[in-house]
Amino acid sequence: MATYSLANERLRALEDIEREIGAILQNAGSGYDDEKGTVILELSKEKTNERLLDRQAAAFTASVQHVEAELSAQIRYLTQVATGQPHEGSSYSSRKDCQMALKRVDYARLKLSEVARTCEQMLEN
Amino acid sequence: MAQQRALPQSKETLLQSYNKRLKDDVKSIMDNFTEIIKTAKIEDETQVSRATQGEQDNYEMHVRAANIVRAGESLMKLVSDLKQFLILNDFPSVNEAIDQRNQQLRALQEECDRKLIALRDEVSIDLYELEEEYYSSSSSLCEANDLPLCEAYWRLDPDTDSTDCLSAPLLASPEPSAGGPLQAAAPTHSHAGGPGPTEHA
Repeated sequence: MATYSLANERLRALEDIEREIGAILQNAGSGYDDEKGTVILELSKEKTNERLLDRQAAAFTASVQHVEAELSAQIRYLTQVATGQPHEGSSYSSRKDCQMALKRVDYARLKLSEVARTCEQMLEN
Repeated sequence: MAQQRALPQSKETLLQSYNKRLKDDVKSIMDNFTEIIKTAKIEDETQVSRATQGEQDNYEMHVRAANIVRAGESLMKLVSDLKQFLILNDFPSVNEAIDQRNQQLRALQEECDRKLIALRDEVSIDLYELEEEYYSSSSSLCEANDLPLCEAYWRLDPDTDSTDCLSAPLLASPEPSAGGPLQAAAPTHSHAGGPGPTEHA
């Protein structure tokens, strides 16, 4: 269930950073988007398009700095909230109660199916 | 000789190490990238032949590219460590996640119990009607002592001897045999109806 908003927000942000790091490595080298090209691929050509090269290099640098800023922010947040102690909360009790409720429902369903089978047998006879 | 500790660093030292790793990896990526671009410049005057210089530049670019990839992978590992640290130590979000989970589970449990109670009420109504129909019909195979719930409730049976109950006509109209109120001792001998249909009233 993706309903843990606060926890998932930060984890999703970290996943986005992971994707961005992968994109940085790809855009620096051979690239995956044929239309945009990449910096080193552009450099390897005989006639380089200087403006495109500048734009791609600037985008690369901006991505790297963005990744650094995001990760620094996450580390700063963790510095503020982390206590070093283990968290001792749990949802075990409510999970157990819910399991027992589901067991009760299953049992009722089983008994009703037996009754239904008995009624069908009586009607056939 | 020294025992290996699972967590040799305190929380602050660990986070400082994360910062250091971040700075080092980003610096490595930027430096190596910059050097690759610088190496791409073709110089007219070289100390060795152009072929040798070309080979050297090729090798240097390979090494720097490998450094960029290594630094990128180190950054991915850092992000993974940060995710793990976040899950274990971000208490506000852990508390909220636990509260939300508890609410969901409690809501589901209440829903199950509510539906079971509604089912129970419906089935008890149907059961009462079925029993009434069954025990009042001629296809009933019950023994003389085995009274239905409705009969057990209606019958005013003053019998004290259990043997007399065997021959008593149970399917007759529910007229009081003794004409008095129900006696507490009598039902215990002949009636197998249990506590009575108070729940059906």
